[in-house]
Amino acid sequence: MGGVHIRDVRKSYGNMEVIHGVNIEIPDGQFVALVGPSGCGKSTLLRMIAGLEDITSGSIVIRERVVNNLPPKDRDIAMVFQNYALYPHMSVRKNMGFALRQRKFPRDEIDRRVDNAARILGLEHVLDRKPRALSGGQRQRVAMGRAIVRDPQVFLFDEPLSNLDAKLRVQMRSELKELHQRLKTTTVYVTHDQIEAMTLADRIVVMSGGHVEQEGRPLELYDKPATLFVAAFIGSPPMNFFQGKASSGRLTLDNGTALALPADVSHVQGDVTLGIRPEHLRLGENGWPAVVSVVEPTGSETQITARIQDQVIRILVSGRTDVGPGDTIFLETGTRHMHFFDSKTGKRL
Amino acid sequence: MHRFAVTHKLRIGGGIVVALLFLLPVFWMVLTSFKFQRDIFTTPPTVFFTPTLENYSNYLQRSSIPYQMLNTAIVAFGSGLISIFTGAMAGYALARLRIRGAGLLGVLILMSRGVPPIALAVPMFLVGRSLGLIDKHIFLILAYCTFLIPYVMWLMRSFFIALPKELEESAMIDGCSRFGAFFKIIVPISLPGLLSTLIFCVILAWEELLFAIVLTNRVASTVPVAIANIAGDTVNGANWGALTAVGTMTVIPVVIFALLVQKWLIQGLADGATKG
Repeated sequence: MGGVHIRDVRKSYGNMEVIHGVNIEIPDGQFVALVGPSGCGKSTLLRMIAGLEDITSGSIVIRERVVNNLPPKDRDIAMVFQNYALYPHMSVRKNMGFALRQRKFPRDEIDRRVDNAARILGLEHVLDRKPRALSGGQRQRVAMGRAIVRDPQVFLFDEPLSNLDAKLRVQMRSELKELHQRLKTTTVYVTHDQIEAMTLADRIVVMSGGHVEQEGRPLELYDKPATLFVAAFIGSPPMNFFQGKASSGRLTLDNGTALALPADVSHVQGDVTLGIRPEHLRLGENGWPAVVSVVEPTGSETQITARIQDQVIRILVSGRTDVGPGDTIFLETGTRHMHFFDSKTGKRL
Repeated sequence: MHRFAVTHKLRIGGGIVVALLFLLPVFWMVLTSFKFQRDIFTTPPTVFFTPTLENYSNYLQRSSIPYQMLNTAIVAFGSGLISIFTGAMAGYALARLRIRGAGLLGVLILMSRGVPPIALAVPMFLVGRSLGLIDKHIFLILAYCTFLIPYVMWLMRSFFIALPKELEESAMIDGCSRFGAFFKIIVPISLPGLLSTLIFCVILAWEELLFAIVLTNRVASTVPVAIANIAGDTVNGANWGALTAVGTMTVIPVVIFALLVQKWLIQGLADGATKG
């Protein structure tokens, strides 16, 4: 079967290793998002799959063929770049047909494929224009069209939506998802936007410092983050963290409150970080007292920023609330919404 | 708005003054070329005189100027085109390929331009003589390439660095080799830069005198050599009318060439390649 298999891949620039032995298995037809902050190695990894960067060691397999030493043109991949990289001297039609002309496809076949891709992407009326006469969204679509006409084994996307304005980005995100559902081509999608990753991908690979922190289905990562890094990265607004010490089945937080540890982590001793997502904190009658500093309503939900002693925390409540800055609120949550991490290793307990 | 208009006028005025300063010698040369010998050194100099084409007709009929003009064109365009072709590729390599010591190499090549041409002319003459290439067009072309290629290389390097590298990467994914990406994508996009550099190269080679004097004799001799010979005519004295007529004839082809090519120097050809 096809798919992309990344096996113990390393990348060094001189003595500096930037990718430290990454293993990722991407089954045929799956949409995988590589996410992580700037400099985590996600784009380098994508460029290694594309053949634009050499692999220092390890192997990359595309459709059961080791491609380590194959030039980009022989890997049967198509890539959409962050800045689209449209050929400015060619019309949209020529841009989209360029790869096929390079591969000596018959003219009528090129026209048929370009017309088909243009219809899918709504570009029929701009086929004879040059890229400079297109809007940002249209350029983005042309870049996707250029990838589609190839009918490649793998699509590679390098932050393709980050140059679009917020509204267009949401629209293109849905179009991209629809496109993948229609074509079912194996896709590797690099983004630093965890919302994009969550909404688009079948599976997410979270990277940090050249390592894979965790990989899994989007909601798996949300529900059971394996490390503090993933817990902080996935979810918006980010998870609240509280430092504390565990002993004899109880966790005493630095803010003075104490709680009983759930049975599965009751044996833990020492420094523990408790994580609670903003949407899992409720306003109640009892619970942890906090003083509201900022209230940000968006209509469907309200984000409250409050302080417990000196610690800033965020609470997301659905609908509207009548609390205001300076009010004291009481925060409640259920044990099942609590995430416990070893403060030293950052690993989930 | 008012302030903007004033600044704008000042700028245009300043531009005209600078242009006039630069064009005055050229204007005087063209004017003098239509004067009889007796009108050339009148005091004060006169702008109004009885014009003559004698200087042109004499030299076009009797001298080897038309032949030397052809030589100049062959050598200038030959060296310009070779330099653009090789210099652009070298500039691209310096801009894009990860070559160990590329920076140092680039600086060394540029430093070669710091050597006084006269220091190079003599060894070049010796090389040419031992190869039997003195007074051959090809040798003068190659000699000009030695100073034009570094020039092209550095100009084009900065031009290529400014282009998004994703353009070639995209082309290479689309099925091109590195060379294919260069010739099919980068060269068409860089046409304005390549053409303006070509104009400069042709002008530099067109007006070059030192190498032409040292490396040619009769067969491959160029117009600047002819002008130098007229100016340095110790037997009959310098014929200033002839000198300025030949000078004017030398300038005209370059001006025509620059005007012809100018329409291709469309700015912003690369617009729309990337985000916007």
